[in-house]
Amino acid sequence: MNENKTIKLDPEILSRIASLNVCATKLVEGLLSGHHRSKHTGSSVEFADYKDYTPGDEIKHIDWKMVAKTDKHQIKQFGQSTNLKATILLDTSGSMGYESSNPKTMNKIDYARTLVASLSYLFLKQYDAVGLSLFNESLISHVPPRSKPNHFKHILHELAVLSPNGITKLGDIIESMIERLPRRGILILVSDFLTKESGVEKKLKLLVARGLEVILFHILDSDEVSLPFNGDIIFESLEDDSSIQLDPADIRETYQRAIQDQIKYYRSHCVKLGIDYIFLETSTPLEQGLTYYLLQRKNLGKHRAL
Amino acid sequence: MNFNFLSPFYLLGALGVGVPILIHLMTRRQKKHQRFSAIYLLSQSKNRAIKQSKPNRKFLLFIRCLCIALLSLAMANPIFLPGDSTNFETNDPSAIVFILDDSYSMATQINQKSYYTHAVKALLDTNKSLPAKSVYSVVLGSSPNRVLQHWTVRPEKAKNILELNQPSFRTTEIGRAIKKSLPLLEEVPQKNKLIYILTDRDKNGWNEEEFLSISETTSHTFNIVDFSEMKHGINKTAVEHIEVQQEFLSTSRVIRVKVKIANLSQLKPVNKLKVSLWINGKEQTEGTLDIPTNSSTEKEFSFPLQNNNPINGEVRIEDDSLLKDNLRFFSYQPDQTIKTLVVDGDPNTVEHQSETFYLERALNPFTSSLSNIELTLSTPAELSKRNLFDYSVIILCNVHNLPFGYEQELEKFVLRGGALFVTLGNQVDAKFYNEKLGNILPVFLKSVYQIAKTDEPFRFLIKPSKHPVLKVFKERTLEEMKSIEFQSIYSVEARENSKFTTPIVFNNKLPALIESTTGKGKVILFVSSIDRDWNNFPIQPTFLPWIQRWIKYAARGLDSLIQKELLVGEPFNWENPPKNGKAYIVAPEGKFIAPPYVGGNITFKKTYTPGVYQLYRSSRTPNLESETSVPAHLPYGAEPAGSFTVNIDPTESHSTKISNEEINNLLPKANIIFSNGYQKLNLNKTNAGIPLSTYFVMLVGAMLLLEGWLVRNE
Repeated sequence: MNENKTIKLDPEILSRIASLNVCATKLVEGLLSGHHRSKHTGSSVEFADYKDYTPGDEIKHIDWKMVAKTDKHQIKQFGQSTNLKATILLDTSGSMGYESSNPKTMNKIDYARTLVASLSYLFLKQYDAVGLSLFNESLISHVPPRSKPNHFKHILHELAVLSPNGITKLGDIIESMIERLPRRGILILVSDFLTKESGVEKKLKLLVARGLEVILFHILDSDEVSLPFNGDIIFESLEDDSSIQLDPADIRETYQRAIQDQIKYYRSHCVKLGIDYIFLETSTPLEQGLTYYLLQRKNLGKHRAL
Repeated sequence: MNFNFLSPFYLLGALGVGVPILIHLMTRRQKKHQRFSAIYLLSQSKNRAIKQSKPNRKFLLFIRCLCIALLSLAMANPIFLPGDSTNFETNDPSAIVFILDDSYSMATQINQKSYYTHAVKALLDTNKSLPAKSVYSVVLGSSPNRVLQHWTVRPEKAKNILELNQPSFRTTEIGRAIKKSLPLLEEVPQKNKLIYILTDRDKNGWNEEEFLSISETTSHTFNIVDFSEMKHGINKTAVEHIEVQQEFLSTSRVIRVKVKIANLSQLKPVNKLKVSLWINGKEQTEGTLDIPTNSSTEKEFSFPLQNNNPINGEVRIEDDSLLKDNLRFFSYQPDQTIKTLVVDGDPNTVEHQSETFYLERALNPFTSSLSNIELTLSTPAELSKRNLFDYSVIILCNVHNLPFGYEQELEKFVLRGGALFVTLGNQVDAKFYNEKLGNILPVFLKSVYQIAKTDEPFRFLIKPSKHPVLKVFKERTLEEMKSIEFQSIYSVEARENSKFTTPIVFNNKLPALIESTTGKGKVILFVSSIDRDWNNFPIQPTFLPWIQRWIKYAARGLDSLIQKELLVGEPFNWENPPKNGKAYIVAPEGKFIAPPYVGGNITFKKTYTPGVYQLYRSSRTPNLESETSVPAHLPYGAEPAGSFTVNIDPTESHSTKISNEEINNLLPKANIIFSNGYQKLNLNKTNAGIPLSTYFVMLVGAMLLLEGWLVRNE
């Protein structure tokens, strides 16, 4: 969709892109150094099996050496040689725009941006196609998966220009996206999952059923987990909720229980659906979270994808 | 219903409510605005948190403020006053008669103002709140009632006249005042007719007889405003009565003043009450007196008489809230002769055979100046012409019987302080004495004991006695008295419930002389004759001092006859005034009055001020005709002609109050509203309202407990 979109040369955006580029590159190079094996060479020319020739088959695929040896017309079959297509779905609803009260902590949207850029770079580095879709209550923009190294710029641009707003409607988005997603690819969903809608797990089930490998990055700010505020505070919503006045001390425990319940909810459902679920607090260094996840995947034998 | 505060100053403490509010505001956290992502989770959490009923800071603040407010209310001593103080339920024009009790008990002081002043204020305040076109009038409640202010519309019109008027020295007459008010109410067209009675509700002012004629017909609305309920104004003590006596028996001239003082308190005895006697404006003597609760005690002062000038005196006691009953006046003309009327029941043309021959000579041997006894002889037939009240002592000597109905005069005479000396003899009609003089004589005359000539006669049983009459007789005299022979005596028998003493008895134990007290007077019965018919006593040397002392002794109460003692408002009848019509009265406040003659007598009615009224006569023709005329000074040559005293009626001092039920019974058809004076004036008052301090303090305690519990939970 935005494939041919001209990148605006806004200096601010450019600097943001450069920064993201540096961050992602640094992260990924650090992660892959010493153990990365390019999957591009031979992955699509690997021999898979022989098959009897039947009329209609391409003659060029007949293994003439086999004919010479066995006098049988056998056709050589090769494994799938197409590149992996990864689609990253990034939640850009208003709630993602939460700015942490701790100045040392990265803001949630920046954290997500960096994560997405890192993952994209990682995919592209492996010559896999990677696409990016931004959404809130609807799809905002979509960058289709490409494996060209230059594609990284497009993704970075999208990341740079996004501004969080609107409400989260995860279920609707998955429903609308599901048809256009490539089968048997990877879908990476990056969101804070702060949504009032129910039945998100059913939508995730649809994705899994389509053969997609789904990875969920649940990103929350530390404030959203612990509610560290004190005093009489009027909380104004970043989405469409009405403001609420209260003393957080009064409800802190209840809130913390509620947010932990939500995390547990997603984790338990993801485990059931075979979805990788990674919970990241913005106070956790991104490389630490990413490393932990990649190591976990490697141990599970899933390193094929990443 | 109404609320009053005894210490309204403490209401300022309610400003302390500001302190917790200030602290709350100072410590209140600034409301911060925070943009946040998970608002819906906050809402859910808040809804769950409310269920745990966490304390609300504003609720705590409210409780704290309430505590301070309630505490200041409690300290202000709130009084809840049931009942409505106003009577104007409608705005219809009303006609109101204010019956203003101006009896002297209304002079009782409270907060340095009298009940009367408060009542006047209440009256004027009520006037201000009258509906438009209302009229009112003011009738004074003391006797005799008069209309102080006739119907008027202007609320301020009665102000000056009311403020100038002071409580009188008279007693209350509410019944008559209502009688005076009812015709007044008929004069005005207003339909809403009310009678306000501003009084201290002294029971003596509510005479049942006065209400008999109005109780069935009166259906007006009465608003009875009680000013006596003001607790501070307790009238503790009052001088009830004064009796002045001159001791004739003793050689020195001594005046005895017997004063009766009442403790009016129902609760506390009076200890060491200072009582002082003032003679002619100077303090003569003083003493202290203890009086038990709700009773009276007598105290006797005695002082030697320096000269024969008239004595004008007063007895004063310590001040209490009602000053007017703390003094009482008396006047006395000392060294008067004892005017004695001797009734000879057995006169004889032969002088020495008359019954009274020896008595006359014994009582007045040379001149009256020596014995102080001035004799007037009379026969029973002449009695009806005599005015008994001109005499101090009446001696009935062997009188057969009295003129028809005269026994009643005699009884009145004795009750008012006269002395009656009765001697018997052969003329006496015992039946008449027993039947007609039953109220005077304490004994029945039974029969005559007569001794045969050969027998031993009756003699006095002589023994030393402490009786005032007999104590001066010494041994030799007593021996002489033993020799007196009595041939005949009357035997007597005590009447039922009679009280008497027998200072002298015969040697056969029969009484010789019987002494009794009736009313203020004395009755002495000598059971033998006063002449020589039945004994030889009259020719004995002891007879003269004996009979003189008995007469002087009996005449002790004569002052009540000579000195007129009147109550305020009682008319003074000047009997036998100067015939040439030149009589003057000087009132206690120094006013000279030339009273008019009516049928040759003078009746002076304006005895409104307590004190000693001096009587004067002059040989010059008075140049003033009316009673109200005031001469500048007494005419030259005016001579004193006696005096009389006017004192307040002590019944008004007594604090017995008429109850609501009794008033309702007196006016069964009337609509009666009872209220208290303080309700109208917001005066300090506790005993009719319900004090709420305790409840407020308890409420404060409960609030503090609740606050502590909430804070602890927090």
